[in-house]
Amino acid sequence: MKNNHTPTRTGRLTRWIAGAAIGLMALVVGAPASMAQGAESVEGQTYVIGTDTTFAPFEFRQNGELTGIDMDILHAIAEDEGFKVEVRSLGFSAALAALSANQVDGVIAGMSITDERKQIYDFSEPYFESGVQMAVAKDDEDIKGYEDLKGKTVVAKTGSEGETYAKSIAKQYDFTVKSLDQSATMYESVKAGSAVAVFDDYPVLAYGIAQGNGLKTVTDKVPGGSYGFAVNKGQNTALLAAFNDGLAELKANGEYQQILDKYLADPTVNTPGNFFDLAVKSFPALMTGLGNTLGVTAISFAIAMALGLLFGFFKISGNIVLRGIATTFVNIFRGTPLLLWAFMFYFGLPQLTGWDISVWTAGILTLSLNAGAYVAEIVRGGIQSVDPGQLEAARSLGLGYGKSMQKVVIPQAFKMMTPSLINQLIISLKDSSLLLAIGFAELLYQGQQIYAANFRVTETLLIVGVIYFIAIMALTKLANYADKRFNK
Amino acid sequence: MSTASEMNSQVKIQVTDLHKSFGSNNVLQGIDLEIREGEVLCVIGPSGSGKSTLLRCLNKLEDITSGTVVVDGFDVTDPKVDINEVRRHVGMVFQHFNLFPHMSVAENIMLAPVELKKMNRTEARAKALELLERVGLKEKADARPASLSGGQKQRVAIARALAMSPGIMLFDEATSALDPEMVGEVLQVIKELADSGMTMVLVTHEMGFAREVADRVVFMADGVVCEQGKPEDLFGNPQQARTQDFLSKVL
Ligand SMILES: Nc1ncnc2c1ncn2[C@@H]1O[C@H](COP(=O)(O)OP(=O)(O)OP(=O)(O)O)[C@@H](O)[C@H]1O
Ligand SMILES: [Mg+2]
Repeated sequence: MKNNHTPTRTGRLTRWIAGAAIGLMALVVGAPASMAQGAESVEGQTYVIGTDTTFAPFEFRQNGELTGIDMDILHAIAEDEGFKVEVRSLGFSAALAALSANQVDGVIAGMSITDERKQIYDFSEPYFESGVQMAVAKDDEDIKGYEDLKGKTVVAKTGSEGETYAKSIAKQYDFTVKSLDQSATMYESVKAGSAVAVFDDYPVLAYGIAQGNGLKTVTDKVPGGSYGFAVNKGQNTALLAAFNDGLAELKANGEYQQILDKYLADPTVNTPGNFFDLAVKSFPALMTGLGNTLGVTAISFAIAMALGLLFGFFKISGNIVLRGIATTFVNIFRGTPLLLWAFMFYFGLPQLTGWDISVWTAGILTLSLNAGAYVAEIVRGGIQSVDPGQLEAARSLGLGYGKSMQKVVIPQAFKMMTPSLINQLIISLKDSSLLLAIGFAELLYQGQQIYAANFRVTETLLIVGVIYFIAIMALTKLANYADKRFNK
Repeated sequence: MSTASEMNSQVKIQVTDLHKSFGSNNVLQGIDLEIREGEVLCVIGPSGSGKSTLLRCLNKLEDITSGTVVVDGFDVTDPKVDINEVRRHVGMVFQHFNLFPHMSVAENIMLAPVELKKMNRTEARAKALELLERVGLKEKADARPASLSGGQKQRVAIARALAMSPGIMLFDEATSALDPEMVGEVLQVIKELADSGMTMVLVTHEMGFAREVADRVVFMADGVVCEQGKPEDLFGNPQQARTQDFLSKVL
C-alpha cells in the first residue's frame, strides 16, 4: 500500500527496518553518489539529495514534475550558493536509508528534527515550523474557538500530532475525537457535517485550504516540530553550511516567504478552478488509470476464461480427483474476499518465496483466480443445462467425447453462458478498483491521488464514476453486439 | 418382405445373457437375442420393462453390467473395441429427436460424415440432400430445426442417423412424442426403410405398425424376454399370461 505518512515523522521501528532493507539493496546495486567531502567550497559541485515520493505540500508531482516547498527551497538555495542538485525521489524511509548508506549526500523530506535523529544526522537550521491547527467548514459560523466544540465530534488523523493534541484538550472542552486515516477523508467528513472540526498538521491543512478544500481556520496554530535538512553526522559539512547560509539569505530577501505563500497562502486569494477545469486537468491521469483498469481486466478475464473452462470441465468430469480439485479451487476463491488475495499475492507471496512480484502480477493473479472460480461455475452450469440427449445423439453418430463436446455441447452451452460471462466481465472490471489497496494505478486509485492533492473529493469521484459508467456501458454494448453476431 | 432370407442370412446382432443394473435396480436380467441381416425386430412391453435400456445397450450408450453384445462382428463389451467405430455402423433415432439446434438441417446430417473425415463438405452436402429427398424434406435443408414440425424433425433425425450409411437402425419410440396427425408421415419413412432391407430394432407402442412392419416381435416384461414370435402369432395367439394381459390392455 502507498505510504500514508504520519505527518509528524516520528521514526517507527517498522519503517526503519523497511528503510534499512531498501538501503541495503541500494548499497548492493545502486550507483555511488557524488561524495563531495570535507570543508571545501560547494561552488560547482553536484550533490545528490534524497526526498519523499508524495508528501504535499513539501514534495509532490505536478504534471510529472517534482515540486513543493522542499523542492523550491532546495533549488533556490542551490542557485544562491552556486551548487547543483540531483534530486532522487525515493520515499521517506528509503531516502534516510540511502543517506545512511552514503548513496545520497543529504535528505530534505519534510522531516522533523528530533533528538533521536540528531544522534545520526546533522540537521540544518529549521526551515519550516510545523504545528497543529483546527479547521471548520467554510460556512460554519458557530464554531469560533475550542469552547464551541462542547458536546460535538471532531476528527483527527490516526497516530498524528493533531490527534494527540485534540485528545489532550478533549476533556477540558468536552468534545469527542474520532480518528480517520486520510486527510481527504477527514475534510470530507467535516464538510458533510459528521464532524464539526478537524485537527491536522498545519502545513497539510493550510495547503488543503489553499487548494480550496472548503474549510477555514478559526484558531491559531499550536506550535509543534520543526523541519530540517539532514546530512550524515560529520559529513558534507560544506553542504550543510551552504544550506544554512542560503536559507538565511532566502529569509532575508523575502523569497522564503514567497515560497511558503505559494503553497499555503490564504484561500481567498486563490479561488479553485471550476468543475470543467478539474475535469480537464485530471483527464490525462484518469485516462492512464482507465487504461490500466481495462488492461488488467482484459488480461485477467482471458486467464479466467481458460481457468474457468478447465475447472468447469473438471467439475463435470467422471474423475473424482479432478472434480475434487475443481471444487476446492472454486470454493477457495469464491469463499474468500478478493482483497485478501490481493494482499496475499502482493505482500505475502514475496515474503514466502522471495520472488519479486510486481503489482501487475499480483493484480492479475488476484482478479483472474477470483473470476476463474466464478467462470468455472458458469461453465459447469452452462454445460449441464444442455439436454443430455444432445451428447447422446452426437455419440450415437460415432463422434468421440471431445468432438461431441466441441461441436455439439459447448456451442450450445456457450450461448447460454454468454449473459453470465458478460456479467462476470463487468464485475471483474469493477472489482479491479479494489487493487488500489496494493497501489495498482487503476482508475479509482488515480482519482484518489488527485483528490489527495486538491481535496476536491466529491467532484473527482463524480468524474471517476462517470468514466466507469461510460466504460462499462460501452463494454456491455460491445459484448452484446458480439453475442448477437456470433451466437445467433 | 419378411421371412425370405431368415435361415441363410448372417447374424447382425447377438445378445447373450445381458444384464444391466442401475445401482440396486436390476433392469435387464439376462437377455438372449439374435437379429439377422435384413430383419425387422419390434420390441414391445409395459413401461419400465427395460426396452429402452436394451436398445441403448446395443450401441453402448449404457455401460453393460454383464453378458455380451456382438454387433456386426464387434464385441461392444470388449474394452479394446473402438466403440465409436461400432456406432458408425448403427444409426439411432430418439423419441425426442435430439436434433442439434445450433445447426441447419443439412449441417445436422453432414456433421458425422465431415467430422469423421468420411467425406468433404461438398460430398457430405450432396449426401444430406439425397437423404432429405428420401424423407421428403429437401426444401428444408437450410432451415433451422426449431422451425420444423415434430414429424419433420423426426424425419430429419432419421436422415441424420442414415448419414454414415449404417447397416443397423435403432428406433426408440420414434413416434411417441408426436402429435397424432404427424405419426403417419414418420411411420411411412420407417416402413420404406424396412422395405429397403435395413436391419432394424424398433421399440414401439404402435401395435398396429409393429404387426405390419415386423418380421419378429419381442415382448419384454421385468427385464426379461417374456415371449417372442412372428407378429401374427404373438398378437393373434399369445402363449404367456403376461403377454395376454399386456395385449388386452393396449389392443
Ligand atoms: N439412467 C438411469 N438411471 C437409473 N435408472 C434408470 C436409468 N435409465 C432407466 N432406468 C430405470 O430402468 C428401468 C427401465 O427403464 P427403461 O427406460 O429401459 O424402460 P422402458 O421399457 O423403455 O419404459 P418406457 O416404455 O416407459 O420407455 C426403469 O425402472 C427406469 O427407472
Ligand atoms: Mg423407453
